Amino acid sequence: MASVLVPIVYLIIVFGGLFLFSYFYRKHTSTQSYEPYFPSHPERNAYVTLLQSEPRASDALLKSALVRRAMADVQRVIRIREDKPALQNLLQKGSIGDDLWNSLINAERELEAEIMEVVGEANSFVEGWGQVIFPTANEMLANERMRAVFENVPAARVELERKYEVKAKHTAVIPPPLLPKSSNGSTPSTGAENGDAEGAKKNKKRK
Amino acid sequence: MSHSHSHAPGQAHSHTHSHGPPQSSQGPQSPVMPTPDPALQALIEDDFRPVPLSLSDDRNTAYCLDHRLEKCDACDVDFVNLNRLSTLLANNPNLLCPPPSNIVTQKLSQMVTTTKDEGNSLFKSGLHTAAVNRYTGAANLAINRPPWENNQLMREELSTVISNRSAAFTEASDYISALADADAVIQIRKPWSKGHFRKAKALVGLHRLREAAEAVKLGLSFEPTNNELLQYLSDIEKAIKGETKQETAETKSEQ
Repeated sequence: MASVLVPIVYLIIVFGGLFLFSYFYRKHTSTQSYEPYFPSHPERNAYVTLLQSEPRASDALLKSALVRRAMADVQRVIRIREDKPALQNLLQKGSIGDDLWNSLINAERELEAEIMEVVGEANSFVEGWGQVIFPTANEMLANERMRAVFENVPAARVELERKYEVKAKHTAVIPPPLLPKSSNGSTPSTGAENGDAEGAKKNKKRK
Repeated sequence: MSHSHSHAPGQAHSHTHSHGPPQSSQGPQSPVMPTPDPALQALIEDDFRPVPLSLSDDRNTAYCLDHRLEKCDACDVDFVNLNRLSTLLANNPNLLCPPPSNIVTQKLSQMVTTTKDEGNSLFKSGLHTAAVNRYTGAANLAINRPPWENNQLMREELSTVISNRSAAFTEASDYISALADADAVIQIRKPWSKGHFRKAKALVGLHRLREAAEAVKLGLSFEPTNNELLQYLSDIEKAIKGETKQETAETKSEQ
């Protein structure tokens, strides 16, 4: 009949239903997976592989692998920084769905965790290195880019010969880049590309 | 002979190296770091795929597991730069880690400058091929700067040397090599007017006047008040006009 219990039970049922629904909905959305934005992280894999390698890799190699991991992370940071406003624009216009945006946001968060991990690992090698490793990675990226341009010059020469149909005339021999004198004689494998393009044509006068 | 090993996928792993776990990175010198979210860390660890590699005997260099190559397209690995840096660090045991970028090797700059000056004097005395060789030597020295140093130095040194080499090639009438060098200079140091100037000169040598004018205009977009470029642009445009007049005269005489 008209007892006090009835409205209370009614309220309990309504709010209980709402709470149950929100609980299951939140559980559902939190376990949703997303497409990874970057396919894989080869430098990180190399670093961890080296850490676990059976005859333990030398410290020099581990530090180098860590620096290369930092370099890859820097490249990703730049890429995300560039992609984010563009994706936001597309999202607002409706050209892309939420999934891609979520992937980007998640990738950004993972990258932050990754960077903190790299800093931690760097500090574990040398105290205070964590602060320096990312600026170092920046410089090394620029350095590698310039080096690649320089080492590409003989190939560019061949390209231009083809394009303008004129043969390069110079007879100077261009030796492959050597390692500095402080390191002993490990032959760089990048020297091979120089030999082929040059040797065919430039065998006339050698000073 | 060779230390080779492989990891079975799915093998249990953790970050085991004797320097301590990565989370406790708070030391007296480094500022307090927030510890990374363990869920994200678990994600990172999940993402790990072991790389098939083997080490050299002194454990300083890495090679691919199957073919013992630094750069192996079949195994999709490229350890060249890794090994270069590792060798550099191993040969300088006083370097605990790549130092901050303001620490610079002075001697390298001096050697590059000396070799470049030798090239300059050879160039002035007309021995262009020898000058090219000297410039190449200087460029190789400049390339071997330790990669963690401030890259502005290497950029300036390398671009100057290559631009001089391009000039030497132009004087020796080898315009293709001059063009290749000028393109490299522009890639290394875009806003520099000399790079565009050299490219234009090489193109004029190849009788591509319009492309040369384009190159000069591109250089002018970076440095609008550069007199050298402005002068050269007017020279090229005069030459283009002269050419078109000649062409129209020829077609008229054929008719």
